[in-house]
Amino acid sequence: MASTSTRAPVGLSSVTRDGIGASPRRPDGTLKVTGEFAYSSDMWMEDMLWGATLRSPHPHAEILGIDVSGALRLPGVYAVLTHEDVPGEKRYGLEYRDQPVLAFGKVRYKGEPVAIVAADHPETARRALERIKVDYRVLEPVSDARRAALDPDCPLVHEEGSLPLHEEHNQRGNRVRYQPIRTGAFADGASVEEVRALADVVVTGEYEVGMQDQAFLGPESGLAVPAEDGGVDLYIATQWLHVDQRQIAPCLGLPADKVRLTLAGVGGAFGAREDLSMQIHACMLALHTGKPVKFVYNREESFFGHVHRHPATMRYEHGAKRDGTLVYATMEIVLDGGAYASATPAVVGVASSLGIGPYEVPHVSVDAYGVYTTNPPCGAMRGFGAVQACFGYESQMDRLAAELGMDPVDLRIKNAVSQGSRIITGQEIDMPMPMAEMLRRAREMPLPPDRSSLPAPSDPRTLPGGVANTSHGEGIVRGIGYGVGLKNLCFSEGFDDYSTARVRLEVVGGEPAVTVHTAAAEVGQGLVTVKGQIARTELGVERVTILPSDTRVGSAGSSSASRQSYMTGGAVKTACEAVRERVFALVRERGLVEDGHPDALLSLSGGKVVSAAEGVLISLADLLGGEAIEETREYHHRPTQMLDPSRGQGSSHTQFGMCVHRAVVDVDVELGLVKVVALDAVQDVGKVMHPQQLAGQIQGASAQGLGLALMEEIQVHDGVIRNPSFTDYLIPTILDTPPMRIDVLEHPDPHAPYGLRGAGEPPTLSSTPAIVAAVRNATGRPLTHAPVRPEDIVGIDPPQG
Amino acid sequence: MNPFDYRRAEDAAGAVATVAADPRAMFLGGGTNLVDHLKLGIVDPDLLVDVTRLLPDGVEPLPDGGVRIGAGMRNSDLAADPLIRRRYPVLSQALLSGASGQLRNAATTGGNLLQRTRCVYFQDVTMACNKRRPGSGCSAFGGYTRYHAILGASEHCIATHPSDMAVALSALDATVVVQGTDGERRVAMTELHRLPGDAPERDTVLRHGDLITAVELPDLPFAARSRYRKVRDRASYAFALVSVAAAVDLSDGVIREARIALGGVAHKPWRATRAEAELRGARPTEETLRAAAEAELAEARPVEGNEFKPTLARNTLVATLRDLVEEERTR
Ligand SMILES: Cc1cc2nc3c(=O)[nH]c(=O)nc-3n(C[C@H](O)[C@H](O)[C@H](O)COP(=O)(O)OP(=O)(O)OC[C@H]3O[C@@H](n4cnc5c(N)ncnc54)[C@H](O)[C@@H]3O)c2cc1C
Repeated sequence: MASTSTRAPVGLSSVTRDGIGASPRRPDGTLKVTGEFAYSSDMWMEDMLWGATLRSPHPHAEILGIDVSGALRLPGVYAVLTHEDVPGEKRYGLEYRDQPVLAFGKVRYKGEPVAIVAADHPETARRALERIKVDYRVLEPVSDARRAALDPDCPLVHEEGSLPLHEEHNQRGNRVRYQPIRTGAFADGASVEEVRALADVVVTGEYEVGMQDQAFLGPESGLAVPAEDGGVDLYIATQWLHVDQRQIAPCLGLPADKVRLTLAGVGGAFGAREDLSMQIHACMLALHTGKPVKFVYNREESFFGHVHRHPATMRYEHGAKRDGTLVYATMEIVLDGGAYASATPAVVGVASSLGIGPYEVPHVSVDAYGVYTTNPPCGAMRGFGAVQACFGYESQMDRLAAELGMDPVDLRIKNAVSQGSRIITGQEIDMPMPMAEMLRRAREMPLPPDRSSLPAPSDPRTLPGGVANTSHGEGIVRGIGYGVGLKNLCFSEGFDDYSTARVRLEVVGGEPAVTVHTAAAEVGQGLVTVKGQIARTELGVERVTILPSDTRVGSAGSSSASRQSYMTGGAVKTACEAVRERVFALVRERGLVEDGHPDALLSLSGGKVVSAAEGVLISLADLLGGEAIEETREYHHRPTQMLDPSRGQGSSHTQFGMCVHRAVVDVDVELGLVKVVALDAVQDVGKVMHPQQLAGQIQGASAQGLGLALMEEIQVHDGVIRNPSFTDYLIPTILDTPPMRIDVLEHPDPHAPYGLRGAGEPPTLSSTPAIVAAVRNATGRPLTHAPVRPEDIVGIDPPQG
Repeated sequence: MNPFDYRRAEDAAGAVATVAADPRAMFLGGGTNLVDHLKLGIVDPDLLVDVTRLLPDGVEPLPDGGVRIGAGMRNSDLAADPLIRRRYPVLSQALLSGASGQLRNAATTGGNLLQRTRCVYFQDVTMACNKRRPGSGCSAFGGYTRYHAILGASEHCIATHPSDMAVALSALDATVVVQGTDGERRVAMTELHRLPGDAPERDTVLRHGDLITAVELPDLPFAARSRYRKVRDRASYAFALVSVAAAVDLSDGVIREARIALGGVAHKPWRATRAEAELRGARPTEETLRAAAEAELAEARPVEGNEFKPTLARNTLVATLRDLVEEERTR
């Protein structure tokens, strides 16, 4: 065997191209860049009606009455529905079932849906909304999250007893979840004073992260089509078809198989499509009118139609020895969940368990609260929970380094976790975690040239203020900052997470062809490409078709938590392996190899079955003829545990990811303007599946972190969003975004398919604190709020006279 | 959006007569502001008279040495005009710092002058706003006020005028040519926009049906070295927190004259006459520049949430003047 196994395969004309590790073109790429791709808002049916939503103008009010008669009288209006018309369950929810399909009794945030209309024209539908009379008794908003968390006298957003309580989350009053974590002396009941005595140096800090929006480009839209069997087909831009189905069907009073979903073109998601928006509304109107009903939110409505990133207030205290060794840390974080729970329980689970970051600290006390208020609901957004905490603990690390007179990178290296470390929940990091090496690599990356050495130092594009011609190179201070973030990847806390793939191999037009079918949502991240690459690698067939995602195949889980390459990638891989085994069985059946020939010596490549010993055995086309091989497989990741509700212990996470950022900024301290000159990243991804798409993920996540560092914040005043437009809610443009050097490491995670790690989120964590640290480094300002605004840098003169 | 009639006007007099006669008619320029307002429900006209075809759209030199800018000229064309770039760079810079390429291609000179405030409470029809609904109150106090006024505001309104172009025109002492039902008249740019007082619903001194046909710039040789600076929350495509348009006439180390206007601080482009007076005859040291800025801002009255603006405005003004002086010295 050994002597023959080295023989080159005979007659193998080419290996399979565009497998994993290559950068094949996205199947939807050309259509997207040429503007031909059909997004969900492009859907159209001849006889369809247009849906519209009446939303609460108040953040908090009692509904005394709703009169829809005026709207119904308007010609062209087919239906006006309120909570009374919800056929099944009146509430739904991702984690807690607490959100009314249509408000009843009370409205709890400005923009909450109260009634829905279907009409023959979007304008008719809008006018019908104006004719619906809702009688409100306005109530005091509950807008202070901290008070909601800590003050037992704070008015309740949800009446006592109106919802079942989740004991495992310490749910009580306005607390959606309270998660404490206690380790070391804190677990033994020691007080902070006692633990503080162990440290030579103590730093405290209070930090805030503003409410960020996912700012996807394609606003919420969907089309519901009534079916002859009394069910409904929904075409929808979402992140997880089956969790939508699971929430929609009970509200419609239908069994799940009568609510069929197909993914429509998704124009970005970033967490904002994890919750339902108009899904149930469109289905209700379609079932009620017997006609297809389409909804498209406009930009302003979109800001009210999806959840945002939880704003957070954090209080930290860190104690260390003189040499920089961390001794203890305490953290209190309050996350404003707004009116409904959405993903708040999971956000608290992440913010608490990763609350002090990737550092070895013997004594830790964390108190994490996610609360109900009458602010806009907050839920999933790229890196949730970990993003907020990372800004806090990284700011603290810099503060501590300054206090100790130590280099901030050295301090981080000194306390860095590595493979085998335990995080504060007691969970072991049982995969490579070369944090110290990553920090060194980030530090050693070449720095951008000094402004003075640039050929055109006053090219406005390179200056703070950009083409506004604002700064001229004088009085500009440079700063450098670092950030490291630890992120959980895939779902956590005991959720049996899985994905499903159906893979079919057959001969089409004389050539082998593979079809891959999953329910996974392509939200722009490039999963469609990766699924094809895996099939090519595993089956040695270049022609791969990715079927549209729908509920005719089992759940793929959510396109979130950086999990799809891992989970759906794992499912496609496993299904391909099952198909391959059947191919090999066929090879054996046909007597193409001797009995007992091990599968390990067979492979599929270039559309052929290859034996390591004998080279090409047969082409797949000849082997299969008219036969098709189809296999469906579920892929589950290893089980995780709940955090215990009193001390927060448990191996709650599936996988850990890490990114290190180094930011270089130029700051015009006189005008408060910041130019990010460089934003370089080191990330360990385990295995690079598609280099180009990976770079896109790292750059995009870094830019989203830049937005949070310098400009992105939904302004909420008294429960009301004040900047619901892309004119007033600012996201970085290309002029704000620097070149990015990316250093990718590939230390495989032995538990994951191909050793890969989810890559989409970690850079979102570390980019924000790195940039803010660089601005602090340049200005000497404390800058405790993200985003940093010009006024935080310029300051305020004391009033004169 | 409610249905409305659309008419493309062929001549100015006809357009003026049509709009003046119908309180619910409006002129339509590039539509980049008006169409947004239709969608938001801020205005509800039943007739739009498109004036883009009939208005002059070029830059012509005038016999007295000034120039005349057609009110139909698109913002990008005006910014790119060689004469403007050479003689009034502040105007070109102000235009280029505003909006985006696509918007500037559509926006007209007339429409830019008459664009309305970006106050978030003005734009949200569910909120009280004295500018939108006189007498209903001002929701901005105690709210989100970073973009609001610190100079010349009233208890009824603290909105700012958002135009960058108008700030430059104000510094340049432009004149606005207006056609009304009783013929043509000329309004000084500095007089076009009003302070809110107790009638914030009136942005300008124009009457319903007045059509802006042109803007004239006087001959101002020292404006060839003028500058616009804008401080905003991102590098492009954002309104000004504070902006400064300035030109300085410096000879023998003494400032002979200065033209300065501030944006983002008032209900109108804020002509900084006090700073100009301070600078006239002064030697441009860091101290005199700062004193001039402080003189201008002595009356600044920030509200809760924009306390930073006087400092930022002062710094921006000083930095702009310092630049100009520096440039003049090293010429
Ligand atoms: C996203 C966005 C960002 C922007 N950023 C900036 C910025 O940074 N800086 C800035 O300065 N501006 C900015 N703008 C505003 C932009 O400059 C204005 O919308 C534009 O200049 C208006 O010109 P228009 O021709 O489109 O006016 P229109 O929208 O057509 O009209 C505006 C008003 O003027 C009236 N009108 C139009 N022409 C005449 C005329 N000849 N005579 C009398 N009345 C007339 C109309 O009736 C209407 O009331 C931005 C706009 C948007 C949408």
